[in-house]
Amino acid sequence: MIRLQGIEKSFGRHPMLKGIDLEIGTGEVVVILGPSGSGKTTLLRCLNFLEKPNAGRIRVGDYEVDCRTAGKKEIQQLRLRTAMVFQQYNLFRHKTALENVMEGLLVVRKLPKREAREQSVQLLEKVGLGGKLDAYPSQLSGGQQQRVGIARALALNPEVILFDEPTSALDPELVGEVLSVIRKIAKEGITMIVVTHEMGFAQDVANHVVFMDEGKVVEEGHPNRLFSSPKEERTRQFLKRITPDGVYSI
Amino acid sequence: MKLDPSFIWKAFVELLSVVPTTLLITVVSVACGLLIGTAIALIRTFRVPVLHPVAAAYVTFFRGTPMITHLLLIYFGMPLIVDGVSAFFGWPFRSSAIPMIAFALLSFSITAGAYASEVVRSGLIAVSKGQLEAAYSIGMTTPQALRRIVFPQAFAASLPNITQLFIGMLHGSTLAFAVSVVEINAKAQIVAATNWKFFDAYLAAALIFWGLTVLIERAAGLLERRIQLYNRGGVA
Amino acid sequence: MEQEFDFTYVLQFIPKILSTLGTTLTIVGGSLVLGLAAGLLAALPRLYKIPFLRRVSQVYVSFFRGTPILIQLFLLYYGLPELLKQADIDLSKTPVLVFVILTYGLHVSAYVSEMIRASVESVDRGQVEAAYSVGMNGVQAFTRIVLPQALAIAVPVFANLLLALLKDTSLAFTLGVMEMTGKASSLTTLTQHFVEAYLSLALIYLAVCLVLERLLRVLERRLLRHEARPVPAKSFESWRTKWLPFGLPQAFKLRSKGGDA
Repeated sequence: MIRLQGIEKSFGRHPMLKGIDLEIGTGEVVVILGPSGSGKTTLLRCLNFLEKPNAGRIRVGDYEVDCRTAGKKEIQQLRLRTAMVFQQYNLFRHKTALENVMEGLLVVRKLPKREAREQSVQLLEKVGLGGKLDAYPSQLSGGQQQRVGIARALALNPEVILFDEPTSALDPELVGEVLSVIRKIAKEGITMIVVTHEMGFAQDVANHVVFMDEGKVVEEGHPNRLFSSPKEERTRQFLKRITPDGVYSI
Repeated sequence: MKLDPSFIWKAFVELLSVVPTTLLITVVSVACGLLIGTAIALIRTFRVPVLHPVAAAYVTFFRGTPMITHLLLIYFGMPLIVDGVSAFFGWPFRSSAIPMIAFALLSFSITAGAYASEVVRSGLIAVSKGQLEAAYSIGMTTPQALRRIVFPQAFAASLPNITQLFIGMLHGSTLAFAVSVVEINAKAQIVAATNWKFFDAYLAAALIFWGLTVLIERAAGLLERRIQLYNRGGVA
Repeated sequence: MEQEFDFTYVLQFIPKILSTLGTTLTIVGGSLVLGLAAGLLAALPRLYKIPFLRRVSQVYVSFFRGTPILIQLFLLYYGLPELLKQADIDLSKTPVLVFVILTYGLHVSAYVSEMIRASVESVDRGQVEAAYSVGMNGVQAFTRIVLPQALAIAVPVFANLLLALLKDTSLAFTLGVMEMTGKASSLTTLTQHFVEAYLSLALIYLAVCLVLERLLRVLERRLLRHEARPVPAKSFESWRTKWLPFGLPQAFKLRSKGGDA
């Protein structure tokens, strides 16, 4: 279970998050929607402490931190329980696909090399890259790189995987392969928080949708409900702009 | 250490009188260097037959050897050639009539040319191929496209490197002492010779060079900002 | 006056000049070690943004990059013994070579410091974030992720630096050190065959430069094997000149353009 309480974050004098409260059950797939600048990505990065929130509490599983007082140790503990898939993949450029996945296992989890390798190979096979173990990121397509990124996140066996617009840097024809991998692992019951603009994906994979605007949660609920009959005017406006007619009317 | 501030000041003022010589050497060698360098870069980019390997050899040789050897080779080699040619045609001209500074200017221009060719070349590479194609697509000829489209962009891209070339040549001008040209470095030696306060004299020289370098960097920074206005909103 | 050009002198001079190659390489090696250590030291306050030391390092780097090496040689040679006399250290019997190595070391350290700073800063911020996201701590992220990549980026700059240093050591003769240039110049006073002597000297420098360049290219290729399209060597030759260290950000932009896409 993940619980966020009163998360606040500002950049300089500009408030990005104005008190976010959110509860996510184990195994849930949550999609966060919202116009750009609404704070979705910032929220995700706060969860992993890539941005340090100014206030609030974060609970992941049985571990809870007060963001105001969190020190190195707490941050480390939180990061061990979360994993991130980046928009720009951020694969380690000087390491092969296999080494990218193994890196966390070796250095952070301190697994013996052999075991780390076995697990990593399995994960890469799972994302359909069993044949690309020794390829460097620069030799892979964007879609392949992102699938390695997903395998790298899975390797840590985190309580939750955070996806930061995982397909928006991809060419349209490569989006499908990445989404289908995410879909596949969603079905395995891994908790996921996904920031995305892929409405179709949100509709068939998410069991909870959160709509954010101007640093606040405007509305949340089951995708069927939220897409077909949004309560808030702002949600309605946003959905109208982002979806072609008829997509969300079920 | 006993510094003599009044002597440093005196040396400083005396050195200022030869700053024009240093700047002359620097500006001439950079300007000629850029001309030579542009020619070389074009020859190599467009792979002009015959000239292309010659240009490559020129760049390799002059970048692979110290600047002082260029100066000494020109200084001792040129007279042999000039006098030989002169004697062959029966001209009265003798190499001894060539002023010392001419050797420095010639030699440093050749050195700068080798380095400048690389500056220009990387500038050209920085301009994407699409720019040239777009120029062709609206019917420009190659010279037109180069002059109007490629060079301005390449210049903007290579400005930081041109600045470094300039500073390099400024510092390199101190070698002119080897052919008895009195620029800042040689002058410092002369000033100090009267009272053996070499350190004080060279300190003054260092301050002048430091000041000039910082000045050039500042000026280049300003120029860069103005020139790259069109680039705003790019990656940075 | 001068003798006519005679190529046999070149053949005769080359081995004689080569006999002092060791001195030249000693200066290069000694000042390189010193320069790397001092350069790292100078880079740290700026990488970690330590308030006061950062300014000191800036001024230090600016001075040694802002003044000609020839002036620096004289400054240290005349100034250091005086300075240390105050501390009752007598340098009057210290060999000139020590001053020369010290000066070149300090000179190089300024460039090394810029090289370190620029290469570390050019590693994409996302790499560090990814390292944190898999749970690495600051030290692990630096040593395992940033450093290897920064190293690969730094190699061409380093190559550049090393070759410039080699060529710059030709000025050590002004303080009377018998390295290759000093040797060549002494040969001319004996024989009056100036052009042959300096041509031989130039050819030796050229050969040493080319060998060093090859070796460094191999090193670069090994460190950069993770880039699919090897960085086009041609476009990078320009960064191999000493005079261009400040053009670095450009070089890095070009590189990342070549690597991504």
